[in-house]
Amino acid sequence: MQAEQLVKELKSILGEDKILHEKLDLLSYSYDSSFKARNNRYVPDVVVTPTSTEEVSKVMRLAYEHGIPVTPRGAGTGETCGALAVNGGIVMDLATWDTIEEVDVENMQVHVRPGVVHAELNKHLAQYGLFFPPDPGSSAMCTVGGMVANNSSGLRAVKYGTTEQYVLGLEVVLPNGEVITTGGVNSRAIKNVSGMNLTKLFVGSEGILGVITKIRLRLWPKPKARGILMAIYDDLEAAPKTVLDVYKAGILPSGIEILDSSAIKAVNEFKPEINLPDAEAILLFELDGNPASVEWEGKEVSRLAKQRAAKVEWSTDPKRMAELWQGRAVTASAAARVRADGSRIFAGEDISIPLNKVTESLRRIKEIGKKYGIGVVNYGHIGDGNVHTAPVINPEDPAEVDKANKLIDEIHRTAIELGGSTTGEHGVGAVRSQYARLEHGAALDVMFTIKKALDPKGIMNPGKLLPEEGNNHAASASTGS
Amino acid sequence: MLLQQVPAVKDLLRKCVRCGKCRSVCPIFKEIKTESAAPRAHVFLTQLLRDGELQPAADVAQRAGRCLLCKSCSVECPSGIPVDQMVVAMRNYLKDYSNDSIKQFLLSTLFKNRKSLQRAHFLLQGYQATGLKSIVQKTGLLSLISKDLEKASRLLAPVSGPLASKNIPETAPAKGKRKMRVGYFLGCATNMFYPQRALAAVEVLMANGCEVVTPKELQCCGMPHIANGDAASAQSMTAHNFKLFYEAGVEAIVSDCASCSSMLQGDYYDQLFTDELPREVAHFEGKIFDLNKFLVDEIELQETLSPVPKTTVTYHDPCHLVKSQGIKEQPRKILEMVPGVELIEMEGADQCCGGAGTFGISHYDLSRSILDRKINSIKQTGAEFVTTSCPACSMQLAHALTEQGLNSEIKHPVELLAQAYKAARQAKIS
Ligand SMILES: Cc1cc2nc3c(=O)[nH]c(=O)nc-3n(C[C@H](O)[C@H](O)[C@H](O)COP(=O)(O)OP(=O)(O)OC[C@H]3O[C@@H](n4cnc5c(N)ncnc54)[C@H](O)[C@@H]3O)c2cc1C
Ligand code: SF4
Ligand code: SF4
Repeated sequence: MQAEQLVKELKSILGEDKILHEKLDLLSYSYDSSFKARNNRYVPDVVVTPTSTEEVSKVMRLAYEHGIPVTPRGAGTGETCGALAVNGGIVMDLATWDTIEEVDVENMQVHVRPGVVHAELNKHLAQYGLFFPPDPGSSAMCTVGGMVANNSSGLRAVKYGTTEQYVLGLEVVLPNGEVITTGGVNSRAIKNVSGMNLTKLFVGSEGILGVITKIRLRLWPKPKARGILMAIYDDLEAAPKTVLDVYKAGILPSGIEILDSSAIKAVNEFKPEINLPDAEAILLFELDGNPASVEWEGKEVSRLAKQRAAKVEWSTDPKRMAELWQGRAVTASAAARVRADGSRIFAGEDISIPLNKVTESLRRIKEIGKKYGIGVVNYGHIGDGNVHTAPVINPEDPAEVDKANKLIDEIHRTAIELGGSTTGEHGVGAVRSQYARLEHGAALDVMFTIKKALDPKGIMNPGKLLPEEGNNHAASASTGS
Repeated sequence: MLLQQVPAVKDLLRKCVRCGKCRSVCPIFKEIKTESAAPRAHVFLTQLLRDGELQPAADVAQRAGRCLLCKSCSVECPSGIPVDQMVVAMRNYLKDYSNDSIKQFLLSTLFKNRKSLQRAHFLLQGYQATGLKSIVQKTGLLSLISKDLEKASRLLAPVSGPLASKNIPETAPAKGKRKMRVGYFLGCATNMFYPQRALAAVEVLMANGCEVVTPKELQCCGMPHIANGDAASAQSMTAHNFKLFYEAGVEAIVSDCASCSSMLQGDYYDQLFTDELPREVAHFEGKIFDLNKFLVDEIELQETLSPVPKTTVTYHDPCHLVKSQGIKEQPRKILEMVPGVELIEMEGADQCCGGAGTFGISHYDLSRSILDRKINSIKQTGAEFVTTSCPACSMQLAHALTEQGLNSEIKHPVELLAQAYKAARQAKIS
C-alpha cells in the first residue's frame, strides 16, 4: 500500500489527531538512544498513537491484511534500535497511553497501560507504601511497556531481580489483531501455574510477537531504611572477593556497583568536587530493609570490606548517602565529558559476565580499548555481573566510528568467550542479533518457530532480536554505522 | 552568525546521546507527549539543519517555535546539552521563514525602545479602558489576525497608571550612608504593567544604602528579540544598555525581572557577539544580579521591619531565575523576613507557567494547558495571593486567575519588603 493510502486508512480508523505523517514528525521517530541510530535514518512511513486496545487491534488488522511492518515504541530510550522502523511501515507510539488503571492494594498489584513512565508509577505507588522494584537508569523517562518488552532491570537487580519477576499477566494484541490475556483472563492471583507460561514468553520479546496493551504488575512493600557503604581498593582483584565474602555471610545487598580506575578518573574530571580517591576500584554497596537489620548488615559488610579494602565508609545519613552515591550516579554522564570533542556511545554497553570473570573482563576491555586507541569508561552492576562499558569517541568522525564498530564487536565476543552474554538488560534489537547463533545454538531455531507461529507474515517489529534468516551463522557484522 | 558557528552547535551538539532524559522535564512534551515535541527532537533538527539534511523552511521554523526556552531540559541534561541555545540558534537561522505576524508586530513596537513603549502604553491604556476597537483599527492592527490578537491582548495585564519611568529619577540617592552605586535595569514589562513594583525595588535599594541609577534611555534587554530569532536587534540593544551603565559608573546592575537579569548575564551572548564581548559588557561580568539575590547575598539587608497586614502567600519560581540562575532560596528568604507574611509552598513551584514572553501569544492553547496545571497547584495552597519575580510570569498567572474569579494580584517579594519598611517608618514617626 502507498504511504498516502495508508495514512488515509489509518485516519479513518483512529481519527486525524492520532496520526503523525509530516516529514518532521517522522524524522523525530527515526532515533532511539542507540549508536547505530545516530548514523542511520530509520524513518517510518507513518506514526500512530492509539489509546485503546480496540484501536491497537484495528491497526494490527489493517497492517496484517496488507503485510505492513509495525514497530511498537515506548519512550525510545532503548539502546538497540528496538523501537525503530528499520524496514519502514508503521511506528506505534504507545507512550501517550499512560493510564494507571487500578492500584489493587489488597492484592499487592497494579494494572497499567503501556505508556506509564516508570518513575511516575513509583511516585503514584508511594502513597500506598508500595513500589515496583526494577529500577533502570532511565526510570525518569522509560515506559513500563518498554520495560516489559525489554525485560529491563537496574541497579537493584541483585536483590529485586528483573521486570519478569513482577509481571503477573499481560493483555497482548497479536500481529493479526487478535487480543489475548496471559496469566489468567480474570486472574488476580499472584501465583499461577495453570497453562503454559505465555507471560514470560512475551516479557523480553522486544515487540516481535505482539503489542502489549495492558500490564498486571506485582508490587512490593517499600523498605523503610537504607544505607550506603563505599569501599576503596588498591587492587582490582580484591573487589569481587569482597562481594563474594558478603554473599557468603548471608547478606543480600540491594545493589553492588563497581567503578574501575577509568570511571574514577572520569568522575573526578567531570566533577572535581566529588573528589573520589585515586584507586584501582571503588565498590558501593546499598543495603535496604528495616532500620535495625540495615544497621546490623552495614556493620557486618564494613567489617568484611575492611579485610581487603584500603578504606571503608558506611552511612545512613541521607545527605552523606547522596554524596557517596553521587560518584556512581554521575558516571554515565561523566563518561561523555572526559573528552572535549567526544561523546559516549551506547554500543557494546551492556555485557553480562559470570561473577568470577568480572575483573578479567574489565582488564580485557581496557586492552581492547588500547588496541583501537579508544578511551573506554567501565562501571557496572558487579553484584550480578552486568558490566557497562562506555566508549568515548567523536561520533562525527567516520574513521573513529569504524574503529568503534570493531571495538564493540570484540567486546561482545569477549563476553561470550568468558561464558557471559552480549546483553544483560538492554536487549538485542537490531544491534546484537548477529551473535544469536553463537549465544543460543539450536535454541535459535525454536525461537524462529515461535516467531513464525505467532507472526506468520513477519510484520511485527521485523529486523529485531532474531537474525535475518539465511544469515544465521555469519555473526560477523558490526553494530555501529 | 552561521548555524555551524554557534558555539553550542559547533561543540556540544554531537554529545547528545538521545537518552531522552529531557522528555521527563519538558512542559511542552508533558502536554503533547509525542516524540516530535521532545527537547531531543530540537537537538536532532538542529543537527539535520547543520548538516544540510534538512533545508530551512516554514515548517521547521514552526517546530523551533514550539519551545518555552524554560531551560528545564538544559539543566537536567546529563551530557550538558544547552537545548534552549540550539532552539535559539535555529530561530535565528530560520528567521526569514517565521510568519508570526503578531509577534513581529509586538517586537517592533512594544519592546523596541522607550518611545515605542510609551506609544504602546498610550494605545493599550486606551484600548483596555474603552474596549475601543477603533484604536486598534486606526493603528492597522486589525489587519493582523484579529482573533489571536484578541486572545493576546487578554494576556497583557491591565495598564493602570503611568509608566514607572515617569516616576523614577535618573539618580535616586541612598538613604543614610551610601554603600554602593547601583544600576537599576527597568525592564519593559515592569515599567509598563507593574510600575509599583519598580518603585518598590528602587525604594528598597535606596533604603539599603544604594544610590540607584535608572538610565532614561534604556532599551529592552533583548530577550524577546533573541528568543524570536532577531539576534541583530538583541545585540544592538545589549551594547546600547551596557554603554549607558558603563558611562554612569555603576558598580552593579540589578533587575527585578528574571528574564532581564538572565539575558543581561549573557545567556545567549555567544550568539550575539561573534568576537570578543564589547568592553562595556565584559566590564560587568559577575556584577549583574537578580534583585532577590542582590538583596540577600550581596548586601547587608536592613532588617528594621514592621508587620504588614497578616497574609498568606505562595511563591512561583520563574524559569529564568530557578533554572537559568539557580535562584530558589533568596526570594523565599525575603518573604520569610517580612513579619505578617506566611509562605505556603505549592507543589511544583519550579514548574514553568507556560508564559515565556511571547510564547503565550503564538501558542495560546498549549500555553494555557501548561498554565492550568500551575493554577491548580496555586489553588491547592489556599494562599491569599501569589508572589513571583518576573513580570511575564505575573501576567500569565494573573490572566488565568482573573478568568477563574480568583485574586489576580501578583507581587514581587520586594513589594512586601517595601511595605514592611514603610510600616517601620510610620511606626517610628508615630
Ligand atoms: C540513560 C539510560 C539508562 C538506561 N538504564 C537502563 C538500566 O539501568 N536498565 C535497563 O534495563 N535498561 C536501561 N536503559 C535502556 C532502556 O531505557 C530500557 O530498555 C527501557 O525499558 C526501554 O523503555 P522505552 O519505553 O524507552 O522503550 P523503547 O525504547 O521505546 O522500546 C524498547 C523495545 O520495546 C518494544 N516495545 C515498547 N513498548 C512496547 C509495547 N507496548 N508492546 C510491545 N513492545 C513494546 C519496542 O518495540 C522496542 O523493541 C537505559 C537507557 C538509557 C538511555
Ligand atoms: S539533550 Fe541531553 S537529555 Fe536530551 S536526549 Fe540529548 S543528551 Fe539526553
Ligand atoms: S527549553 Fe523548556 S520548553 Fe524548550 S525544549 Fe527545553 S524543556 Fe522544553
